[in-house]
Amino acid sequence: MKCEQIAELLPDYLQGSLSPDQHRTVETHIEQCAECSDEVAIWQKLSLLSVEQPSPMSRVRFEAMLQAYQAGRSNQPARHSEWIKRFSSWKVFGWLRSPLGAAVWSAALLIIGVFAGLRLAGPKPPSQDLAEVQKELASTKQLVVLSMLQQQSASARLEGVNFTTRDEQLNPQVLSALLHTLRYDPSVDVRLAALEALSRHSTQPQVRSNVVNALQEQQSPLVQVALIDQLVEWHDREAKPHLEQLRQSPNLNPTVRQRADWAISKLN
Amino acid sequence: MLQVRDGAGEMLGVLFDRYQAPLFNFYSKLTGNRTLSEDLVQEVFLRILKYRQSYRPGTPFRAWIYQIARNARIDHFRKFPREITFEPEMLPPVVPSDSAQEKQEVELLQRALQQLPEEKREILLLCRFQELKYEEIASLLGCELNTVRTRIHRALQDLRKNFHQLARGTMLKKAEAAAENIPPQGGRYEV
Repeated sequence: MKCEQIAELLPDYLQGSLSPDQHRTVETHIEQCAECSDEVAIWQKLSLLSVEQPSPMSRVRFEAMLQAYQAGRSNQPARHSEWIKRFSSWKVFGWLRSPLGAAVWSAALLIIGVFAGLRLAGPKPPSQDLAEVQKELASTKQLVVLSMLQQQSASARLEGVNFTTRDEQLNPQVLSALLHTLRYDPSVDVRLAALEALSRHSTQPQVRSNVVNALQEQQSPLVQVALIDQLVEWHDREAKPHLEQLRQSPNLNPTVRQRADWAISKLN
Repeated sequence: MLQVRDGAGEMLGVLFDRYQAPLFNFYSKLTGNRTLSEDLVQEVFLRILKYRQSYRPGTPFRAWIYQIARNARIDHFRKFPREITFEPEMLPPVVPSDSAQEKQEVELLQRALQQLPEEKREILLLCRFQELKYEEIASLLGCELNTVRTRIHRALQDLRKNFHQLARGTMLKKAEAAAENIPPQGGRYEV
């Protein structure tokens, strides 16, 4: 094969995403071609470059930035600036000096005083600010969870699943990401954790249907048994035909088949 | 209320711990400037807070975060265009290694990487150090997957050329230095 053809495959070869056949083709070519093998060598050499660590102050600055941002959010300074500009362009003090101005001014002060007094003395009503902050937390949490579920390391994805268990209610996007994890995550541990997290949300119709579907798809006996147990716990009678179907499938692990039989008898 | 606020901070802290070092390395290898890199990392997290609604669930998160990182850098250099040159004195320290040859190779490689045009350096950093998948890079740069492959191949070719040129240069210098150090041999060839 010529270098130009190999060049098309080389980037995928470097990331290890070629099919075994293509991989072999590239390897054979590299053994004979100095230029292409040098390209691979330089790619590998790049790993020699050091990974640098940011200074410890970086974290401190981050915390400070977070506080400043949140303080800024509750004050909302930006919205007022337009008014301040307009206000200062009026001849404020000119008309305040007139008797009418003085009367208006004192009335305004009185109203402000009474209002402030009421607010400070009485129990604080659930403010809009709090709702705003809660909304903020929810959207940040959603972002973090969704990002964690996409991480390469299984332990990070596990952490992401665990984050979702802190909330009573799941946001639809997080829920669908969690369902995706249950069905397609490569790690058994992460899938089991996702099932456990989802078990609290059995009132959501798509949770049950996904658990039932997962029953047919999953190959790992551990996950299969956990799914069966979950269906029994929910006492999901509709799952019975699916369990029957599962126990018919060839190459089923004997323990799983036993568990399925037990579940079918329980659901009767 | 404070608890709720701390909650948002704690959650974002998880992201910070995970991404600050990769982002810092991306910037420092791209600009050669540690201080600037740390500033830009902070800017990225501020933007994550501000624009978190713009993340579309189901799309690759890393592509989104690096999109923010690229924009933060572009905006910075729009404001301060003079700083755009790579600062060689800020090069990362070479990790002490047993072999002198390896140490020299790392130095040459750093310089070879520096000499690349910025967009080539960037694409190599994204796929080699930030470990983004080609699909993620394509969505980040807004181009076809095959274009990403071609660009990586070309960037590697250029890096290879730079590296060998520098290596030859060093060898020549060494040879010259060695030649100067040879003591005069007292008219060995004189008749």
